[in-house]
Amino acid sequence: MAKPKIAFFEFTSCEGCQLTVVDSLQDHPELLDAVDIVQFREAMSEKGEDYQIAFIEGSCSRPGDEAKLMEIREKADLVIALGACAHLGGVNAIRNRMPLEDVRKYVYGDKAEWYATYPARPISAVIPIDAVIPGCPIDRNEFIRAVTYLLQGRLPYIPDNPVCIDCKLKGNVCVYQRGMTCLGPITLAGCDAICPTYGEGCDGCRGLISAPNIPALRTVLAEHGMNETDIEAKMTVFLTYQRMELEAAGHDS
Amino acid sequence: MGFKIMPKSALVDWVNHLRAGYRVVGPQPRHGQYVFAEINDPADLALDYPTSVLPPKQYLLPPREVLFNFQNSGMRIEANIKVEPTVILGVHTCDMHAIRLLDHVHNNGYADQHYQTHRANTYLVSIECLKPCMEHSFCKSMGTLTVPEEFDLHLTDLGTAYTVDIGSEKGEKLLEGFDQVWEASDDDYQLLSRVLTEKWPRFSYRLDFDVTELPDILNLSQKSGYWNELGDRCLACGMCTKVCPTCYCFDVSDNVDLTLKNGQRVRTWDSCQVEEFALVAGGHNFRSKRALRQRHRFLRKGKYQYEAFGMVGCVGCGRCAQACLVHITPVETFNELYRRSQRTEPAEVKA
Repeated sequence: MAKPKIAFFEFTSCEGCQLTVVDSLQDHPELLDAVDIVQFREAMSEKGEDYQIAFIEGSCSRPGDEAKLMEIREKADLVIALGACAHLGGVNAIRNRMPLEDVRKYVYGDKAEWYATYPARPISAVIPIDAVIPGCPIDRNEFIRAVTYLLQGRLPYIPDNPVCIDCKLKGNVCVYQRGMTCLGPITLAGCDAICPTYGEGCDGCRGLISAPNIPALRTVLAEHGMNETDIEAKMTVFLTYQRMELEAAGHDS
Repeated sequence: MGFKIMPKSALVDWVNHLRAGYRVVGPQPRHGQYVFAEINDPADLALDYPTSVLPPKQYLLPPREVLFNFQNSGMRIEANIKVEPTVILGVHTCDMHAIRLLDHVHNNGYADQHYQTHRANTYLVSIECLKPCMEHSFCKSMGTLTVPEEFDLHLTDLGTAYTVDIGSEKGEKLLEGFDQVWEASDDDYQLLSRVLTEKWPRFSYRLDFDVTELPDILNLSQKSGYWNELGDRCLACGMCTKVCPTCYCFDVSDNVDLTLKNGQRVRTWDSCQVEEFALVAGGHNFRSKRALRQRHRFLRKGKYQYEAFGMVGCVGCGRCAQACLVHITPVETFNELYRRSQRTEPAEVKA
């Protein structure tokens, strides 16, 4: 069987997910025997345009991004969103609830009009995608698992579990009982609960589980000392786009 | 066989003695709570711990376990059963009852070779509970405040020493070659008797009914509106099932490596509280609502397992209540269902 040709692309992002792909080679150098990487600006100079699988990092935050996304979709058999920006709009989507003019001025000052930015969206808002590898950044083990699935001719599968499942499999003391707060109960697992394991509450970088009980978690956060403003801020970092979609559909957010 | 006496000052030496031949695990403090973990320094052992985050079931049914390795070429399969003689120190009596249930489940029907191997290589050193361990425990109501016969050694704290009850040959082996343990004297027996008598009033009955009524109460409550109230609160985080000493549901997956030549079949603790648990081929989810999943959980603990094994599946340890961020507790749930079942009766008579 010929090795699948894969390519990496980035839009609005920090490219940390692609760095994590490079990082995954430390544990899994055999990745280079399993696939043929034809384009990966983060790691090589060659730039092939013939690829079957496209991994896309970053959100779509400018009108000019759309044509490139469509071109990739056209060329690739499979398009995989790589990381929170491509999957959820990422932290870039925090601005979606703010007046765009203010945001541009805040970031670009008197050059604001030079930059044609608009609300940040996940790439799935622009082109159909086949799978996501969530996280900020992605989990390198999950990336390898996803590639293995693709090599088997399957789409990557992520169980619809909240982070609490991963966390309790590790036997962690709940961060709520350590005086902290956490979005783990509404956030998709698969990260091995890395943040709670190292003593930090989950910020929701992997996005929501399919049926999150957000009102109940708001009550929990309030019971643990957070006021409305802080709760809103916590749920804004990574979840803005998904929550605005829930609101548009008339659901609790 | 008579009781032995081990002075508390000998505990460190005994643990070190055991560590020469076994992996020794026990309760240790961590971030203000206690966890069962391997004892590398006997000073970390906290036999007077209140409760632990995870029950000791993790040593019989590891959270993630490779069942076998396989190679696709030639269809080769190689069993993977890790044998590691392990002493678990400080098992509370509720958890001993839970292990009794796990034994029954894994030894009958489709006997589970992995569980059986871990179990055969596990030495259970239980400890008598002399006061309620925390606000959520209700062992006295569940009949789990005395140790069942599954212990290898059973300790009771007499203040400056432990009595050691030897329950099996495996238990005897744990004392072999250790000389700081001797026969209990008449005075020790009297002290033990007093300690055991004095402990009972410290525990209260927390269910408003007798536990033998529980299966009927649950059976009558299947259509109760209370399940919807729980469903509205429940986060479906699944922590209640992870920390439960009698939950043993697992998921199985085949994981291959990047060469697609070698792989592992792995089982992982699952939870009936998560969205996909009851999702079946074709896309139907027969417990898609949180209310239905909570009902399933409580009926399984209080009714189904009793009917199947003659043992109630809840041992009253209180871990699920402690873990639950939205305060769903078995004591309140069982009592509320009981109250509602009592309330409906006069109404039915009137009609």
